[in-house]
Amino acid sequence: MLLARRNLFRDRTRFLLSVLGVAVSVGLILLLAGYRAGVYRQASAYLDNAPGSVVVAEKGIRDFLGTSSVLPAGSLAAIRAAPGVDRVVPVVSQFVIFERHGRKDGFFLIGYDPASGGGPWRLVDGREPRADDELVLDRTTARQHDIAIGDEVTLLDRQATVVGLADDTTFWAGSIAFARITTLESLLRAPGLRSFLLVTPAGGVSPEALRGQLTVPGADVLLKSDVVANDAKLLARVFDAPIGLMVAIAFIVGVLVVGLVIYTATIERRREYGAVKAIGARNRTLYRVVAIQAVIAAIVGAMAGIGLAIAAGAALMSWRPQFLVAIEPPAVAAVLASSLLMALLAALIPARSIARLEPAEVFR
Amino acid sequence: MTELTLDVRDISKRFGDGETGVLAVRDVSLAIEPGEIVLIMGPSGSGKTTLLSMMGALLRPTSGSIHLDGMPISMMSEDRLPDIRLRQIGFIFQDFNLLSALTTLENVSVVAELAGVKGRAARGRAQALLSDLGLGERLDFLPEKLSGGEKQRVAIARALVNDPPLILADEPTANLDSKIGHEIMRLLRAVAKQEGRSVVIVSHDERIRDIADRVLWLEDGALRDIVTMATDPVCGMAIERERAVSAARDGETWYFCSRGCRAEYLGGPTAEAVIEGPAGDRQAADRER
Repeated sequence: MLLARRNLFRDRTRFLLSVLGVAVSVGLILLLAGYRAGVYRQASAYLDNAPGSVVVAEKGIRDFLGTSSVLPAGSLAAIRAAPGVDRVVPVVSQFVIFERHGRKDGFFLIGYDPASGGGPWRLVDGREPRADDELVLDRTTARQHDIAIGDEVTLLDRQATVVGLADDTTFWAGSIAFARITTLESLLRAPGLRSFLLVTPAGGVSPEALRGQLTVPGADVLLKSDVVANDAKLLARVFDAPIGLMVAIAFIVGVLVVGLVIYTATIERRREYGAVKAIGARNRTLYRVVAIQAVIAAIVGAMAGIGLAIAAGAALMSWRPQFLVAIEPPAVAAVLASSLLMALLAALIPARSIARLEPAEVFR
Repeated sequence: MTELTLDVRDISKRFGDGETGVLAVRDVSLAIEPGEIVLIMGPSGSGKTTLLSMMGALLRPTSGSIHLDGMPISMMSEDRLPDIRLRQIGFIFQDFNLLSALTTLENVSVVAELAGVKGRAARGRAQALLSDLGLGERLDFLPEKLSGGEKQRVAIARALVNDPPLILADEPTANLDSKIGHEIMRLLRAVAKQEGRSVVIVSHDERIRDIADRVLWLEDGALRDIVTMATDPVCGMAIERERAVSAARDGETWYFCSRGCRAEYLGGPTAEAVIEGPAGDRQAADRER
């Protein structure tokens, strides 16, 4: 509507202020949502890229990241011999602190057998470990610690040589490093240790069917998708409340900024609105004028906010490559919807002020 | 009998109840014909604005009735009144009250659009009116770029755009200098006399007496005195009928500022009768109501 547009664009500073308010609010919401999505995506990266659709873990263990799993001896042989199984990838996982140049860092060390799989899925430099004193590190972590291929790092009580660098292996608690499974058996002084078995069903057997038919004493058989979901729940307990709080604060700030700007603009033009009402405009027409102003400010602000979030996300990932900001289309759609909600909430108080306006006041 | 544009009967307006209540308008009756200009004068706080607001369907009288073009607007539901104001009444305000973000053309066309006229037709209608009022070169100007007289002419165009039978003007010359004030008065007279619209003006401006057909004096919420204005056919001066000398000629009564003008007028042929002193016929009719 013409009056809404003109009222909004007449005072450019005010319009820009409202757009900026929404842009910052929406940008922050999207950035936080992107960060959260990135954390989830990074957290499931290993299982997403590892072979198999069924996971065998120690009895009572339901997730991959949160707890250590120790499978009973003989589990690997039992699963390999079970019908319906095509491939079994044994892995050992352990959270390890390592030190370099006096700076400590933690990583999730995966022990795997290069012949079976379960190692780095994006080896960008060097090679996979061939000996027990060799290691593949996350490239970002290596860069932060000024580590290059051929360098030695202290791993628990021994030295290991970095022979390869991988990408897509950082996550919220650190990064993922890879060594031979025998390296972890030796490091942890636990020969034959297996944490998880990643199982691929034979052709024609569904993961659900295989889960139903596999039985190993002292172990649980889980769908990989359930393990990923359980890891996500674990993360949700850590991240969702603070991120949710920050999103709520950003949303409220957005509503307040747009609301304040539109309210001020409405109050300033109170007499004009009174004249229009006296001339014969209905309340609903004037509500529409106010709401359209808020919606335009919110939509333009949301578009700017999306751009802001993408730019800020890219800058963040460039500055701190271990962070992944995954701005996904559903989040963008949700943010656009929330900006509309923001606009409608912001229009409530000005609309109330117009409703209470007595048209006869225009003669006073 | 001529259909009345506005028929106000015994209206009163009370604000508040009990001892603190104020009777702002009391038992006012008024009949306004098409093409008639009525000026309502009176001291501040006399109830002029309240009366104007009731005639404009902005306030509901506590008692009495108001009919506009035969429609009982004082008894209509609140929901119907905006349409009445939009289509049947044109408002002209003291402070112009133009929409500051809209251009001259848009200030007028937006009111036509409110009444349901589509964009291009509304703009065409607004442009024609503004051009007639001498604002053809100012269509794209914002109100802040217009002079006071131009703003009031835009307000007049806005009041006329939906072709209402009644124009209500609140102190239309108050913020204008003498010359521009006269120009606005001339325009209002043209609106009434050439287009047959009724014009009610509330003002302190004595100059408006010159264009008024009747002058009503409101005091303490009641009409105290009613003066009917006429133009001396000899010298062109605006005069009050009740105080003027008059003469009847060819079945019509003429009013003069002085015996000299009357004598000059009667120097012509076929004088039927001569009446001296105030006439007061309309005053009597209104009081009977």
